[in-house]
Amino acid sequence: MRRASGSEALGRVVETLKCLGAESVTVTQEGVVLSTVTKDRLRDFVRALIREYGKSLRHSTCVGADLRPIRGSFSVTHVLALDDLHLYLLVETEAFGNEPKVPSLTPLLPAANWAEREARDLLGIEFEGHPEPVKLILPDPWPEGVFPLRKDYPYNKKLYETPTQVRGVRGEPRFFSAKPSPPSESVREGCTLIPVGPYHPALHEPEYYELYVEGERIVKARYRGFFVHRGIEKLAESRMTINQVPFLAERICGICGYTHACAYCQAVEAATRIEVPERALYIRSILLEIERIHSHLLWFGVAFHLLGFDTGFMVMWRIREEVMRVAEALTGNRKTYGMNLVGGVRRDIDEGKASLVLRMLESVEGEFRRFCDSVLSMREVVERVKEVGVLTREDARRLGAVGPHARASGLGIDVRVDHPYAAYRFVDVNVAVRDSCDVLARILVRYDEVIESIRLIRELLKNMPKGELMAEYGDLPPLRVGLGATEAPRGEDVHLVITGRGNKLYRWRPRAPSYVNLATVPTMLEGERLANAPIIIASIDPCFSCTDHVVVVDLRTGVRRRMNLLRNALTRG
Amino acid sequence: MGRLQVMVEGLGKHVVTEAYPWAPLEVPEGFRGKPVIDPERCVGCGSCVNACPPNALTLSDDGRYRVVKLFLGRCIFCGRCEEVCPFNAIKLTKEFELAASSTEDLVQEVRLVMAKCAVCGRPYATLREVRKVAESLPENLKGLAYVCPDCRERISSYFVGFARR
Repeated sequence: MRRASGSEALGRVVETLKCLGAESVTVTQEGVVLSTVTKDRLRDFVRALIREYGKSLRHSTCVGADLRPIRGSFSVTHVLALDDLHLYLLVETEAFGNEPKVPSLTPLLPAANWAEREARDLLGIEFEGHPEPVKLILPDPWPEGVFPLRKDYPYNKKLYETPTQVRGVRGEPRFFSAKPSPPSESVREGCTLIPVGPYHPALHEPEYYELYVEGERIVKARYRGFFVHRGIEKLAESRMTINQVPFLAERICGICGYTHACAYCQAVEAATRIEVPERALYIRSILLEIERIHSHLLWFGVAFHLLGFDTGFMVMWRIREEVMRVAEALTGNRKTYGMNLVGGVRRDIDEGKASLVLRMLESVEGEFRRFCDSVLSMREVVERVKEVGVLTREDARRLGAVGPHARASGLGIDVRVDHPYAAYRFVDVNVAVRDSCDVLARILVRYDEVIESIRLIRELLKNMPKGELMAEYGDLPPLRVGLGATEAPRGEDVHLVITGRGNKLYRWRPRAPSYVNLATVPTMLEGERLANAPIIIASIDPCFSCTDHVVVVDLRTGVRRRMNLLRNALTRG
Repeated sequence: MGRLQVMVEGLGKHVVTEAYPWAPLEVPEGFRGKPVIDPERCVGCGSCVNACPPNALTLSDDGRYRVVKLFLGRCIFCGRCEEVCPFNAIKLTKEFELAASSTEDLVQEVRLVMAKCAVCGRPYATLREVRKVAESLPENLKGLAYVCPDCRERISSYFVGFARR
């Protein structure tokens, strides 16, 4: 059903794209349409797309690539999602020369902001008309004109030969003097500045915040991130082979790593037309759901902890422990499952392991329901999160929110349903949507998702077909583009891959869900009390390392942005 | 009501904390722990070195010996080496206590004697690998295993040319 209507819609979309002035339109893989547009026409093209598809068009990410060794140009590919039509549109444009310039889409689609600045930092592509052309990812003292993701920049090049060179003129260590641009006019005289960071004791991740507070109210917040930018893309493109990268992709995140490994493998499989055996798809889905359960339980624990409800924190993590043990029995490790290679999975889930999973689900479901139901009937918990941190449906759409965060604002988007991958095309997923748009809604959405994941695993285990675990393939064709998208516990995770020669990657760009969700935090904090800030920030389940792996994040000027470390600020303030 | 249930839950004797390190910790079957090379089986072919994502496994030749080196400080315990080894020479164990007081304690080295080409004398592979290959060849071709790839090419083209003439 879904597929038939999908192919019809696909034909119409291809027609539309041609009418709107795309130079060429190709269907590169199931559910992905690539159109190329000259840079002069890019803005008009996207404006026409917005007129045509209106609110259902979502800017997912933007990927820059240095294609000079191949065709003498830089390319910029915008990934746009049409969730209703089950399609991703790739809009590619080229720019020549060593100082390439393309028009910015940020004025049309605000969600493009960070991704464009990332391409500017790392590849030196100028985005004309970008409202905020400042550094996002690279550290402040990074020299002008050095672009690490360009192909002529060796991956092992040392920027500074001696430690003293990283010090500024007056000898202060420059890498840690995170001083973002001065606060905009909206910060009034007499505000109190509360610096938080560069290391957060509760989130265990390095981030730096500046909170401007007037009395109890937050007037403005700035966020300087990307301190854990690890150059993963460069490493993968320069040194690793296609089947080594899944293990690197898995290490992008310490909580939802497997979803990154899956998205990467899907991207390569789509690019090179590898048919993954059905059993392997089922195993991937089962593990993805196990990962979602553990991630959501972890989040419940952290959220309760931030609310000052440590019993809840301990109980949630105790329940989660059982999930971790089962994951260890299935894969050989509690996290970093290491199960994926391009073409399939490495270990089977046999009868014995399946019964282990079913036993775990039984007890986790019972305990989780019992405990959460009691917690959600406690007035002190519910009142604490009700109408706090509101993100309206309109804002969620405009800023490109994804995952449980978007679903709590009434947007029914879920990659498992909208762009089915792995075994989700064989089962029906019920999407949990709430429309009260506050922290309570985010709690309830995740509650429903844990229950749904448990149901899904049972169904997947029941229907799992027999068969091979790994597809057979030889050398992979070079210079093919592939897109892989998964629904990570935090939302849509998108990987774009261009394959290279000798079973290597030419370009790999992962985009984690927190990358877009972080951009909604300032809006939520607007006018909130300082005391609500920790739970608001935590309510998107932010994952800094995920976001930083590659790129960037910064505040949009004039908008508030904030992160989770407020708790620290509170105890000091 | 909910409050009461939460209190009951909080007071319940649910303990998931392990007694470790005061009691040994059981890990499940299939746990991916410290990899160990069996020096008796390793032929130094380098399959694991090619597959290893973090370069924990490296090869070095000094003319007389080939050294396969495993540095646990880089290992991510993915088990790709075990998967690709044609001779089952490297295996992941259940061992996970890897604290060491010196870096050398985290290194395992296997030294293998190199075979010299019977024609030009250049070392080209390990003796053990060459013997394995020779075992699999028919009697009349065994000799070719003891010749380096360059000389082998020259010899076979000579024979091909001879046959044509």
